[in-house]
Amino acid sequence: MNQYFKTIYRYRWLIYELVLRNLRLRYRGSLLGFTWTLANPLLFMGVYTLVFSFILKNGIHNFPLYLLAGIVPWNWFATGLTQGATSILDGRLYVGKTLFPSEVLVVVPVLTNGVNFALSVPFILIIGLFMHAHFGWSLLMLPAVALILLMLVQGLATIFATINVFYRDVNELLTYAVTALMFLTPIFYTKSLVEQHAPQLAPILALNPLSGIVGAFQSILYAGTMPDMKGLGFAAVAAFVLLAVGQWLFERYRESFSEFL
Amino acid sequence: MNPAIQVTGVGKRFKLPNIPKNATVKDFVIRTIRRAPGGPVVDALKDVNFTVERGSMLGLIGRNGSGKTTMMRILAGILQPDDGKVEVVGTVAPLFALGTGFHPDLTGRESARIELLALGASRAEVDRLLPRIFTFSEVGEFADAPIRAYSAGMSMRLAFSIAMTVDPDVLLLDEVLAVGDESFARKCLTAIEDFRHRGKTIVIVTHDGSKIEEWCDSAVWLDAGAVAGYGDPHSVVAAYRSLSAEET
Repeated sequence: MNQYFKTIYRYRWLIYELVLRNLRLRYRGSLLGFTWTLANPLLFMGVYTLVFSFILKNGIHNFPLYLLAGIVPWNWFATGLTQGATSILDGRLYVGKTLFPSEVLVVVPVLTNGVNFALSVPFILIIGLFMHAHFGWSLLMLPAVALILLMLVQGLATIFATINVFYRDVNELLTYAVTALMFLTPIFYTKSLVEQHAPQLAPILALNPLSGIVGAFQSILYAGTMPDMKGLGFAAVAAFVLLAVGQWLFERYRESFSEFL
Repeated sequence: MNPAIQVTGVGKRFKLPNIPKNATVKDFVIRTIRRAPGGPVVDALKDVNFTVERGSMLGLIGRNGSGKTTMMRILAGILQPDDGKVEVVGTVAPLFALGTGFHPDLTGRESARIELLALGASRAEVDRLLPRIFTFSEVGEFADAPIRAYSAGMSMRLAFSIAMTVDPDVLLLDEVLAVGDESFARKCLTAIEDFRHRGKTIVIVTHDGSKIEEWCDSAVWLDAGAVAGYGDPHSVVAAYRSLSAEET
């Protein structure tokens, strides 16, 4: 194991404390507490169901559940990435000035959003039961798929957090890219709709590692089937490579951080 | 001879990426097209040697940009030296920029927990040390109030108490001994005296030569990253002062 991951492991209780702090800060002084985390996807679900089921009539069976199964992991990705990408900038009080390990800064928002994700999964299952969805043994694969998503978010967040220290407007580009990526991931539509209406786009969409991950969550939490292992395998390899690139970039430039913050 | 810190031939270079501050993606594109050369290399420290005996106090003095802070960060293990080596016996706790690392929305207790964990304490140690910190710092009644309700003096006292309670073998202080009111300042000095009597070591950075003369057993004067004077605090401070006076 290299230095980067060793440091993260060594400070695991610090990470635990900071994630807890984030969750507490978010809910402190708010009446509804954790409900806010659920309100977001539920509101989305209502509005998007109205648009995509009733106005655009995409014909996806149980569309609210399909949407939730995709948008909840998507929210982890999008929020974890955008918060993680500014984490080194936001932590300028600590970076290079105190013993506070800056590796930890990126992990914390990624994991905080992971906890929110994990807390939302039971609600998807409950809503699924109400909609008479079938869940199967593939539920046991949830942790593995979540781990792949974690690696992907952590890898990308570390890359952007490092670049952000030197090029501040990368963050704005990232915001646009994340929005674009949301529509390039089968959340509002299905893969089969793409194959049916725009088969020439299918190979391009398959290059998006999130397709495999979000698709796996939809198989598990919506269809009750085993995920497509080819798509998931590709996503796992991509996530691993991005994580390796992220930690390499971070190690390479970490000593310059404090000069640029 | 029983050194707690041994600094041998330490050099540190910063290879500054050749990027302007607050650069944009446009700069990146232009730089890539023009194949801009790598940035300049700055010698922050050059062949620095000194020893700190166990139970003694060393003062680092020098102008801004002379490498004091880089030296302290290397002693703390935040930066790695490029040349030479630094040997520190035992645990180190740095106290830099006192009290600024606290998040205003967190309570004093939460801040103390996070600070202790960042200093490398285990969870069991944290639970053991917390009550002592609040006793020493005299901010116990505000333990569950958010830091934003603390005065500057209170958060400094909290930070100082954390570092003292961790009881490191080597304490690194950066311009911080002017903390709090007079009675707390005296308490700090007593704590530091006691700390030294127990064979612990202190390195302090300051611009204030008189403090070094008053407290330290030896002094290092850094100028442009190199040692310009080392040894008896009175003579080092006198040499530093005469040079400063010449230039102004």
